[in-house]
Amino acid sequence: MENKQSSSPASFIGSTVIPGDVVLDLSSMANQTIKLGDGLREDRDAISAMKAGTLRCKKPNKYRIESCQKRYVPCAGDTVLGIVVDSKRDDFLIDIKGPALAFLPVLAFEGGTRRNIPKFEVGTLLYLRVVKAKFGMNPELSCTDAHGKAAEFGLLKDGYMFETSTGLSRKLLSSPTCPVLESLGKKLPFEIAVGLNGRVWVNAASPHTIIAAANAIMNSES
Amino acid sequence: MANTWRLTLNEKNFIKTALLSEIRLDGRKPFQFRNIIINFGREDGSAEVQLGQTRVMGIVTAKFVQPYRDRPNEGTLSIYAEFSPMADPSFEAGRPGESAVELGRIVDRGLRESRAVDTESLCVVAGKLVWAIRIDIHILDNAGNLVDAANMAALAALMTFRRPECSLGGEDGQEVIIHPLEMRDPVPLIVHHLPIAITFGFFDECLVVIDPTHSEEAVMAGRMIATVNANGDICAIQKAGGEGVSQRVIMQCLQLATTKAADITKQIKAAVEAYNKERALQKIKLEPTCVGTNVKEGQDQTLDDKGISELVGKYMERLKLISGESYTSQNINDEVETKSLRLGTDSHGIKFSSTPLSWDPYSKGVDPEFLKASVASQGLSSANKKKEWSGEEKPSEAQRPGSYKEVNPKSSAVDASRIEMQMIGPKTLKDAVKPKNKRKKKGSSVI
Repeated sequence: MENKQSSSPASFIGSTVIPGDVVLDLSSMANQTIKLGDGLREDRDAISAMKAGTLRCKKPNKYRIESCQKRYVPCAGDTVLGIVVDSKRDDFLIDIKGPALAFLPVLAFEGGTRRNIPKFEVGTLLYLRVVKAKFGMNPELSCTDAHGKAAEFGLLKDGYMFETSTGLSRKLLSSPTCPVLESLGKKLPFEIAVGLNGRVWVNAASPHTIIAAANAIMNSES
Repeated sequence: MANTWRLTLNEKNFIKTALLSEIRLDGRKPFQFRNIIINFGREDGSAEVQLGQTRVMGIVTAKFVQPYRDRPNEGTLSIYAEFSPMADPSFEAGRPGESAVELGRIVDRGLRESRAVDTESLCVVAGKLVWAIRIDIHILDNAGNLVDAANMAALAALMTFRRPECSLGGEDGQEVIIHPLEMRDPVPLIVHHLPIAITFGFFDECLVVIDPTHSEEAVMAGRMIATVNANGDICAIQKAGGEGVSQRVIMQCLQLATTKAADITKQIKAAVEAYNKERALQKIKLEPTCVGTNVKEGQDQTLDDKGISELVGKYMERLKLISGESYTSQNINDEVETKSLRLGTDSHGIKFSSTPLSWDPYSKGVDPEFLKASVASQGLSSANKKKEWSGEEKPSEAQRPGSYKEVNPKSSAVDASRIEMQMIGPKTLKDAVKPKNKRKKKGSSVI
């Protein structure tokens, strides 16, 4: 998900920056399109940080700042866990722990037509992908991947959902497998869905297993 | 809107499913309380209670007011509960909401109806001037079960609160003099018993949990709060709507509440004792005066600590006895004697106040024979204090206090009363409790 570009002029990639740090010098990178993600700002000739965290770069040209916090800033391409708050004619209103509620179009499902619109009650938990997220507007979500296939997105049944910080969710999703998940997986059989918005869902056959796994993950943070 | 906490259907169903297997979200059993931590602030009368993640702070203050017309001899007690917005996103600043008022009412009813705080001792001038005790409850963090935590915080704060000592004086004897804290030690409140609130959450199919967390509170169908004390008295019960519950379940809950209340009472008392001990030690270290320094300092230190811890031990025993176990007047006298013996040797940092305790309506001063004996035994030899103790203890266990007259006839009453009055430092419940031995001789019952 992130990789270090040693040839990049900015030696800050992968290191901690604080607000005000100039992380990229644009004058040396002419004729390149750079996409700025969360926490970065264009400042005349330079890109500077607005948030404290680690500078990450995704190939080929997407930069953003990652920090561990409880709030989530929606970013396009993220996979999140959302809770249905309301359903309207054209979309569902979903809460993804961001500053604004997100919209899930009613047709954004594999093989979704006006005839087979799913019925989600208030409080349903869904695994979703963020399609569009810009500052100031409500994010847009989808239950399919970029190619239109279902790919595990959609309703999460049973199980137990708990909230964590964004840092822990990223760690749980990192590769190689996070040590907590690895050691838990050797002892307990369970199913897990991690949202980058700081929500984790766990399911297993018995309540004891679910509670053990959930508490182990929650306590691995401190 | 986006920052509110939302309940998923998954969680709702899971909580109920897990309860059917007798396990809760944080791994507790249905009738298990969360971890309780009690901390005290720098000032007397401020306590913070942590019940798991829930945090509540209680502050006690006092001021002079005119009493109510229909109760001219009693002080007043009032409780204010505030739900701070930092505790929960759904709490709003400003006037207390419905749940804040309910919480205040529950804590208030538990303390007032059961007469846990002695209001008659708060009277200064009957009909004109009484102490008004005000308890402020601040919710710092809401992780479920605010009522229990708030109640504990109020009790812990009440037990460590000290009000300034005041007496009547002036030209015509009608003026009230409030003694500054440096002159006279402030005086604790008289708390007869500790009413502990226990919250039960009801789910469908007769599932009951104790001490619900935030998520459980959102899912439960009804709740009941029983305020009981360690003696088994039920001080108050509150059930505001919610699902109907059968009588059998209610009775089971009340029985369970009594057991839990005993545990929690022990915890609160232990915390208060530790706080008082520390406070007293600090006071002793601050005091420069020293009486009879023949004993080496190291030895004194251990004597001090030992003496204090033994005192504490005796005090706790005494509390246990008072709470209803059977005992004879003999035993009580013995304890008091051994206690006063040790007191006699606590020669560090004793402040002198020669008047009898003016705030305690039952106190006429302590039995002068005791004091003479204790002072005399101290005067015998300062080097062999330990031997003294063991020597004096034996006769005391076998005989009544009168025997002391034979052991050491001469003493000075003034010295006796001085050393006796200020035992460790501030006057605590010990003082209130101590004269009871005399009442016990008459065969009166415990409070």
